[in-house]
Amino acid sequence: MPHLAEIREIIDESPDTRTFRLMFKDAGTAESFDFKAGQFAEYSAFGDGESTFCIASSPTRKDLIECSFKVYGKVTQSLQRLNVGDTIGIRGPYGNWFPLDELKGKNLLFIAGGIGLAPVRCVIENVLDKREDYKNVSIVYGARSVSDLIYKQEIREWKSRTDVSVIVTVDPGGETPGWDGEVGFVPAVIEKSAPTSENTAVILCGPPVMIKFTMPVLTNLGFKDEDVYTTLENRMKCGLGKCGRCNIGNVYVCKDGPVFTYAQIKKLPQEF
Amino acid sequence: MSFKMEEKIISKDDLLKLCGDVIAKGHTLLAPGIAEYEQVKDVSQIRLDSSALPTKTSYKSYVFPKAEPILYYKRSKSDVQLIDVDVNGKKIVVLGAKPCDTNSINILKHLFNWDYEDEFFNLRQKHFVIIGLMCSSFDEYCFCTSVGSSPVSEEGSDLFLIPINEDKFALRIITEKGKEFIEPYSEFLKDGDEAKSNAVLESIKKPEVAFDSKQVHEWLGDNFENPKWEGIGNVCLSCAQCAFVCPVCHCFDLVDEDYSYSEGRRMKNWDGCQFGHFTLHASGHNPRDIQSKRYRQRVNHKFRYYVDKFGEILCTGCGRCSRGCPVSIDIKEIVSNCKD
Repeated sequence: MPHLAEIREIIDESPDTRTFRLMFKDAGTAESFDFKAGQFAEYSAFGDGESTFCIASSPTRKDLIECSFKVYGKVTQSLQRLNVGDTIGIRGPYGNWFPLDELKGKNLLFIAGGIGLAPVRCVIENVLDKREDYKNVSIVYGARSVSDLIYKQEIREWKSRTDVSVIVTVDPGGETPGWDGEVGFVPAVIEKSAPTSENTAVILCGPPVMIKFTMPVLTNLGFKDEDVYTTLENRMKCGLGKCGRCNIGNVYVCKDGPVFTYAQIKKLPQEF
Repeated sequence: MSFKMEEKIISKDDLLKLCGDVIAKGHTLLAPGIAEYEQVKDVSQIRLDSSALPTKTSYKSYVFPKAEPILYYKRSKSDVQLIDVDVNGKKIVVLGAKPCDTNSINILKHLFNWDYEDEFFNLRQKHFVIIGLMCSSFDEYCFCTSVGSSPVSEEGSDLFLIPINEDKFALRIITEKGKEFIEPYSEFLKDGDEAKSNAVLESIKKPEVAFDSKQVHEWLGDNFENPKWEGIGNVCLSCAQCAFVCPVCHCFDLVDEDYSYSEGRRMKNWDGCQFGHFTLHASGHNPRDIQSKRYRQRVNHKFRYYVDKFGEILCTGCGRCSRGCPVSIDIKEIVSNCKD
């Protein structure tokens, strides 16, 4: 049974991406709903079905649960039609999480592309709320164009902090006249900024093509595959390891993932 | 299981009387009909023919329905109300189940109970009593002996029947559940002779072993990228009939059905990994975009992934998928070819 939640606030992140800020209707659920950064949930638009998104808010900020989605298919179109005050369903949390405890004492490099910032954002905010546990925190975020950048408000907050380095870039041609960030693809921007690989873990989420071209750059900079964490986004329905969609070999992304190190991904059958 | 098997004898007439009583009590009695396991309304329908080939479908749909509601919802302006589904836990007795069907629920139990327990499946299977019947014939599609079973396997049966002559069966009590079921009918039972029924079982001709499942398991691990898959993919129509007739295929979809704006239900429906849209992302990306990848998934899931995860092959060797395939793909042949 899904939990029911009320949409308290809607934020239009970009022309096709929307964030819901959600409050569980049942006070007990709101209290007991516990999750870790990286886990996902199944969100229902009753009448059109369920869709899988990560929980975009940080477990350290539990007042409202947030999810961000790009309007693509039937369920996301249906969700887009909902207004503040409407009810949706949430099942979860499901899957594994980023091992933030193990990463304590390390430098963290966050790399995200497009809506890939959603799963990364909950980790960033989790880390910023426990800032003293980690060393240098850097964020590289890219999108196709200025209007495709999501979480503009959050990015402003991160930029205003002195203990975080933030680089925002847009693909060539995606800049506007007043754009004060970088212009260039994410891998090129990383190559230029040449972050240190020493004692550094990478959290990398974005379109497959970005990951494909970013990995060799990271390898050249000395990053090891086992220090790069990413998420796999296979189609899911049940979230419970049963319906048979999300498996890659005998790994169920909904149970054994969605968070994997690049070293783990390399060992999987190449079918994702 | 520590239960000690008991051997009894029951006459065909008494067995039919027993069946009549099961029906009279309002339980569902299933038996193999012409094409599928049918609900028996009248005991004269019962054939109990050990030489019949497997029906087109198994009784999987009685434990895992083709389509079942898992919740109902009601919507008013901006509010939603959810209503739980009352699962029908009616007793179901399967009479004359083929040995290639009897173990199917046991195989599926692993999947429906790892981590999250599927209450719908569990409640239904709890009420199943399976009376297996030895199988005395096979065709070119049968391969139970290649997946660790046999036409005389009692695996999964609560009670097991062995025809001794025209009007008598040896009845073996295999499980506690079977014993509980048969106890009220003890007047029909006489003490049996295990040696005699064993002799019948030994006289049964069995399909030749077509492949070594351990070798297949190993080959699949090394041959994810083998050009053989492409050849199979070119033949297959992606119709997924193989999944729908399979006693152990279990992929499903979850969809909402609106009756009106204000009411609807969420359904759990059978689905199949051979459909292109099965793994299609909303973005258009598809990890199993071409048929060869989907067929590779089918074979790997049955003979490798499920074995790795749950220690059992996801196949009973019934041959239904091959018998019904519109383009004559024979899984026994394909798996036998899973070697260099």
